[in-house]
Amino acid sequence: MKTDSFSIKLIIRNKINSSFKIMALVLFFSFLYPQLSLADAKDKNFIHIKLWHQLMYAHRTVQAQAIANFEKLNPGIKIESVYKETEDLRSSYQAAALVGGGPELIYGPSDQVGPLQIMGLIAPMQDYLDLTGLNDFDPLSIIKVQDQIYMLGDTVGNHISLIYNKKLISAPPQNTKEMFEQGAKYKNGFYIVWPMQEPYFFVPWIAGFGGQFITAMAEPQLDQPAVTQALALVKKLKESSFVPKEADYETANALFKEGKAAMIINGDWSWGDYQKAGIDFSIARLPMISETKLWPSPLVATKGYSVNASIKPEKREAVKKLLEYLTSAEVQALYSKEVSTMPARLSVRLTPTVTENELLQKSADILLVGTPMPIFPELRAVWDSLRAQYQSVLGGSSDPVTAAKMAQSEALRQIKVMNEIRQPDEQAYVVKGLILLFALFLIYKLIKERGIFKEIIFGEYRLGYAFLIPAALVVTLVIVFPFFYNIFISFSNLSLKTFQDWSITGFHNYFDIFKEPQFFSVFLKTLLWTFLNLFFHVSIGLVLALVLDDLIPFKGLWRTLLIIPWAVPQYISALTWRGMFNQEFGPINQILTEFMHMSPVEWLSRPFEAFSACLLTNVWLGFPFMMMVTLGGLQGIPKELYEAARVDGGNALHRFRYVTWPLLQPVLMPSIVLGGIWTFNNLNVVWLVSNAGEPADSTHILVSYVYKSAFNLYRYGFSAALSVVIFLMLLLATLFYFKISKSEKGNP
Amino acid sequence: MKKLKLIVSLIILTFFSLFALFPIGYIFAVSFKNNNSFQLSSFQIWTDSSSFDNYIKLFTETQFPTWLINSLVVSTSVTLFGITLAAFAAYALSRFPLRGGPTFLLVLLSTQMLPATMLLLPFYLLLSKFGLANHYLGLLIIYSSTALPFCIWQLKAWFDSIPKSLEEAAQVDGSTRLQAFFKVILPISGPALAVTSLFQFMTAWSEYAIAAIILQDSELFTLPVGLKSFQASLATEWGLYAAAAVLVSIPAVLLFTLLSKALISGLTMGSVKG
Repeated sequence: MKTDSFSIKLIIRNKINSSFKIMALVLFFSFLYPQLSLADAKDKNFIHIKLWHQLMYAHRTVQAQAIANFEKLNPGIKIESVYKETEDLRSSYQAAALVGGGPELIYGPSDQVGPLQIMGLIAPMQDYLDLTGLNDFDPLSIIKVQDQIYMLGDTVGNHISLIYNKKLISAPPQNTKEMFEQGAKYKNGFYIVWPMQEPYFFVPWIAGFGGQFITAMAEPQLDQPAVTQALALVKKLKESSFVPKEADYETANALFKEGKAAMIINGDWSWGDYQKAGIDFSIARLPMISETKLWPSPLVATKGYSVNASIKPEKREAVKKLLEYLTSAEVQALYSKEVSTMPARLSVRLTPTVTENELLQKSADILLVGTPMPIFPELRAVWDSLRAQYQSVLGGSSDPVTAAKMAQSEALRQIKVMNEIRQPDEQAYVVKGLILLFALFLIYKLIKERGIFKEIIFGEYRLGYAFLIPAALVVTLVIVFPFFYNIFISFSNLSLKTFQDWSITGFHNYFDIFKEPQFFSVFLKTLLWTFLNLFFHVSIGLVLALVLDDLIPFKGLWRTLLIIPWAVPQYISALTWRGMFNQEFGPINQILTEFMHMSPVEWLSRPFEAFSACLLTNVWLGFPFMMMVTLGGLQGIPKELYEAARVDGGNALHRFRYVTWPLLQPVLMPSIVLGGIWTFNNLNVVWLVSNAGEPADSTHILVSYVYKSAFNLYRYGFSAALSVVIFLMLLLATLFYFKISKSEKGNP
Repeated sequence: MKKLKLIVSLIILTFFSLFALFPIGYIFAVSFKNNNSFQLSSFQIWTDSSSFDNYIKLFTETQFPTWLINSLVVSTSVTLFGITLAAFAAYALSRFPLRGGPTFLLVLLSTQMLPATMLLLPFYLLLSKFGLANHYLGLLIIYSSTALPFCIWQLKAWFDSIPKSLEEAAQVDGSTRLQAFFKVILPISGPALAVTSLFQFMTAWSEYAIAAIILQDSELFTLPVGLKSFQASLATEWGLYAAAAVLVSIPAVLLFTLLSKALISGLTMGSVKG
């Protein structure tokens, strides 16, 4: 069909067109450029220092003020301060510092020092500090690892205490006996509330029974009478009539702020918010344990600055100056004055700002019975195992003795896997051999198929290749590299301790997956999750589409309303649903109790209910997609077919069974496959609705399990292997599906 | 009988519309509250103590306007860039018997199967090698390529359903293949292009994890990253968060509404021919 002149014309057109395309792209990007290059275009005359922090909202204005002052005093230096949420701060910093980037300074709680120091991403600070001036700092605020300073604090605190509303009670209980007595008498709502899911709010009680939950050598001590007794005490408190049935952080906070609770156990970070809400409150120690006459001991942490391990030499002087200023008496006094933080400098504590501040004075008294927050990474394993068992005790699915035992053994297990450094063995050679073979195979393929290059440039279908190549390149660059990187990591021992010098070790991570106690139950749950979601998505979508396809008034309006769940970004709707599931104050239970006269459901504190809550949320998110797909499918079915069925005497059900469904199936199937893959890998909903797998890690599906192992326990090699397994499962399922649908097509 | 059917239909529609709107009402109510909490004491969206303070604060005291512009710039460019790549690639896969074509389609599908969280670190390493960390260009490339697989599949199915005779007729009339693509195929592919554009746009509009690790200057933040800064671990500014959430959802809902007709015909992955 093609003549010579035609193909010449084609080539010319093609050339003109491709150069036009390139020009258009250049124009397009140059339009974008002013935005794109913001990071580069900054004035070169200044020294730029970056600071990442996790200051809460109210404290950020104080920081902005301090930074403005500093820039005025040091005209050559510009500070860029960026807020990152605690977990994001750590993971973003890890990624950035790994390639020698990242901010010069980071500000955060002392427990981030442990992992970052082990990974070698923060530097000893002696060179940046005036060592003689350190005498003025509370020893708690100087964080050392192996005699080197890795963090200098500007405030000490983060401790929890009893916060009481002076309007509702005159004096806080002195001991636990008093607490139960006063509570029983209290009639204006709840006597005491606290964030019930968080082990951070539980741990202080252990000291009240004479125990210590982790030793100075980072050994967990959870299986001891003090822990059992503390669990029993908190369980008794939770089951008291004067305490809400369920309260996460937000609920407890809201109850206290609205005057529905007389006391809350909360940290010093919340004071500002309560002051702003106009509550007349004061603070006190957690009540003494009557039986032991010991005070519960809140954890006391410092928040402070650490220095990036790879700072450019020309910036060192500026970093030193900034550090000096930010930890100076002047700035600490400013924070104390504006947001009532306890300064790290002893000299500032003697100034009127602190001595005349009632809260800070009482806080100092509470600090006397505090315990310094341990900084070793093992603490994460302790929190994690304690959280699960503590929640089961409160939820009634375990007793204190068993829970303490299990928390201890789980903590030990997690610490073992976290600290394990696998050495390469014979398997490493096998893996390396396989990788080499694969590379050889690729080269062989490339040589064998070298004709393809000729085909791409001169072949009959070169236009087709030219069309395909840009997309193929982008996909290869962005997806294929990370993909192989991930496979590579899955054979390695990459973890906390080997972050900067990992090596290929073999198939261990894959064996570990099947040894993981939770693996099979999580896998089955994932299958159930995927199946149920798809079932509801498709059936609801189908029903709505059938209804909308009929003659209905205001069709467009209904469609618009029903499509809304799809349009709202997932991270917003997931968090909203979480709020709505609250047992006592969420609207869902309000509807159940007020309109349907049912008893309230403990949505978020029991495994089955929490799983259902995630499911309900995801059904809400996913049905509009299926509805739209089905609507499209229905419109493609010729109306004559229905007529024919009607003439043949088929009723509505028959018409659906023999006309609608068979013709819809091919349209729905690709969407179901894709929907299945997305649901299987839907991290957002499970993670946000169940607050990272609560209660007790019982709501995990495989992908949230991967996320948790990678970012909570630093098991990068393991999570990479697990994600390869997920990938293979989905790939096999899809290939199987294609095979089936092909063979079905083959014999009509 | 007809009447009964209509009533049942309306009941079903009302029930599911309420289901769909319920959380939206909730977030509206929170956004009008001033006491910084995520709990409501009544079903009323607007109470005596409600106000627009959070919205005013959002525009006067936070960087919300900057984030909004950033997100619009990023999402629009991702859509334009992604849809161009996808349309050409899908057309090529649909019309030419290319070597490796079917394999490429399967590779595209399989990219959806690896948990995205595991790709974060390699993404970052890759971009910083090319000096694209903390750049919109980095986001642009990653977002358009993560949405590409769906878009190519979608568009290919659509193109497959267009009879080849259409272009052949155009070519007989003296058009080149490229002209035929632009003048014949693209104009009748509106619905499919709308769907894929919407998909690209939404990817960029609501993605958080990748943006959080790549963007390091707060002037560069997109909306999801910006919104996250109202959330500190135990001290979230719920009022601001909810108000911002409402404003973030509005453009998306508008787009969906405008395109909902096109969505129906575009989403069916081509035709019912199977």
